[in-house]
Amino acid sequence: MAGNHLTTQQGQAQLDAYCQDLAARLRGPGRRREQIVAELRDGLDHAVGDGIAHGLTETEAAQAAIAEFGTPDTVADAFAGELATAYARRTIALFILTGPLVGIWWLLLLQPHPWRTGLVALLVAIPVIPLLPIAIVTAAAALATTGRLIRWLLESSPRQALTATIAIAGTVLLADLIVLAVYAGSNVPAQPVAALAITASLLRITCSIITLRHATAIRHGLSATPTHRPV
Amino acid sequence: MLPMRPELLKGHLDALLLAVLEGGPQHGYAVIEALRSGSGGALDLPTGTVYPALHRLERAGLIGSDWETVGGRRRRAYHLTPSGRAALGEQRAIWEQFSTAVTAVLGRQPWPATT
Repeated sequence: MAGNHLTTQQGQAQLDAYCQDLAARLRGPGRRREQIVAELRDGLDHAVGDGIAHGLTETEAAQAAIAEFGTPDTVADAFAGELATAYARRTIALFILTGPLVGIWWLLLLQPHPWRTGLVALLVAIPVIPLLPIAIVTAAAALATTGRLIRWLLESSPRQALTATIAIAGTVLLADLIVLAVYAGSNVPAQPVAALAITASLLRITCSIITLRHATAIRHGLSATPTHRPV
Repeated sequence: MLPMRPELLKGHLDALLLAVLEGGPQHGYAVIEALRSGSGGALDLPTGTVYPALHRLERAGLIGSDWETVGGRRRRAYHLTPSGRAALGEQRAIWEQFSTAVTAVLGRQPWPATT
């Protein structure tokens, strides 16, 4: 393989413009998009070095490298599935990790001693509790079928992972709205923990709405091509 | 040798990528070149196929990656994980069985007519 950084300013500018164009077309977590562009830029530099070693001028080599890698649209399409899956996994993990941070305030506010009052009283006080296992099972299934277990499990397609993300965000949104309505209709006195619970739910409602919009847009942009199972 | 159509490799690309990385860490473009040169030019895969496939193998835990800075440029090098090495062994055994069976049928003289 030839040297890596032999491009002239014109060749360099072509590669820079290509990478900027690609970066603008990628959809998904910012860190992943940045890594993809950096990785492809390194590959382009190698391809340019190879072209020069085969007698091309720097500019010709840059053009040949870009032609070999494909148009920014083609490359962005090729990465769309992986980026969608990465977005789904990250978002689902965030919902799971932040769930207790919201739930604990509502528990302290609406039913501070659940072990004394029993399950029925707990369900009456916080009627969204049955939604929790639905969200948790959906999240666990989505994470398992898009992560390391795909060697043994049937892999979820990016569309399926996004559908799970939408389902979880919708469930969480519904739970927050219900619990806010329950509190508004209750005679629980206003106290500092209420401010924390309401703030936490309002923040999560905002996140859920943003997630619903993003996940729906990314899913809409995906082709219907299913992924195959790994070895 | 004529390049093979990428769709013919469906189901085998993961094993090919693992096999390329068996010899040691490689960056993405080197993997593409290794496939091309190792197959005498038959496996000239589109770049847009190989890089996402590497990312997917990493998600599956079959390969890992490390970033390093070379000449001021960031570079990602992929390496085989123990799970990937095991998967490659399994895939090799499956391929041996499959290719032996297909060769036995395709390489045979025409079947005699039964009528």
